[in-house]
Amino acid sequence: MSSIAHHIRRALPYAAPIMAGYVAIGIPCGILESEVGIAPWMAFFLSATFYSGAGQFMLSNLWLAGQPLFAIAASISFVNLRQLLYSAAFAPRFQKVKRWLAALFALTVTDESFGVNTDRFAQTDESAILGGEADFHPWEAADATCVNLLSMSAWATANFVGGLVGSTLAIPTAVASFAMTAIFICLLFGRTFTPTTIVVGVVSAAMVVLMKAVGLEQPAIIVGAVVGVAAGCVFASLTRDRPIVPEAPGEALADDETYAAHLLDADRLEAAEEAVGEDER
Amino acid sequence: MSLAEFGILYAILMATMAFSRCVPLFALRGRELSAQVVAVLDLIPVAAFAALVANDLYQPAAWTTGNVWQALVPLIAAGGVVVLARRTGSLILCAVAGLVLYLVLGAIPL
Repeated sequence: MSSIAHHIRRALPYAAPIMAGYVAIGIPCGILESEVGIAPWMAFFLSATFYSGAGQFMLSNLWLAGQPLFAIAASISFVNLRQLLYSAAFAPRFQKVKRWLAALFALTVTDESFGVNTDRFAQTDESAILGGEADFHPWEAADATCVNLLSMSAWATANFVGGLVGSTLAIPTAVASFAMTAIFICLLFGRTFTPTTIVVGVVSAAMVVLMKAVGLEQPAIIVGAVVGVAAGCVFASLTRDRPIVPEAPGEALADDETYAAHLLDADRLEAAEEAVGEDER
Repeated sequence: MSLAEFGILYAILMATMAFSRCVPLFALRGRELSAQVVAVLDLIPVAAFAALVANDLYQPAAWTTGNVWQALVPLIAAGGVVVLARRTGSLILCAVAGLVLYLVLGAIPL
């Protein structure tokens, strides 16, 4: 089996839920794009390169609303600023990865693939510390990139199909998009919380609700996330909650194990160690 | 939308998207990151997911239509997904169950 096939086979089970959701949402997106004069091949090209669900829905809706071209570009670009956060979050993972692979990965990150890959990398960290199952394979940059590309192929194909079938196929977007919401909920609540991460989550969510309530919908996600991270930093500094305040502040992370240990929250580690102890008994 | 208009829009969007997706990753590449920086970066996933979930679940317009039940449907369905996520952690189960729950609740004529 070739190396690429190996990585695709590893990525596919994790990409599958995203791909299913993208097919459900991508077809209505393609239909909407066809309504503003974007041909199926253009929809495919846009989806395979620009690759932004929210951005593409916005593009069609703003065009239908008669917004000027540069206003549309500015609005969508502003909403997509949250990608800055995702890119920064992945930076430590891609320190030693080949440039072309890092670029390909970075260019194909979406909200959903960010979540799945973050989760897989966290599992790898946990396994590195606790000693995972014998057949556990660490999540690699190539696996993460395959998740991105598989998801992108589903999205682009669905947009193309949506453009072809036009309005003959009626899929309620609100219902289909709730599958994506459910994936975000799973990624958020499937993890173990520390006091700091609870503060981060609550403040981020509250900030989004507040901004949307006062009519500031477009910057709500990026501002909510940034304020949430800032609140978490302040909280951790005040309470000295782990892992935001390391034992030796400012100390550089020397190796992968130190880095992995740092990422793994203390509560989860303790719970896992207790479980291992019980098994041994 | 003409091909020329599409081309201009595409060029601007690709440039800004590539900037957002690539610059932080490459700017931090090759640098030894302090533990504090890594710890701050580690908070981003929770913040992003919480913001995305809140953004999806809270639709101000839904509360102004007068049909409170329809506004509550995504919140109740989300509650069910939270329980499932805590118990199973399965993405596919959560996606399917969330979709079914949303459809069933939405079909109740209240």
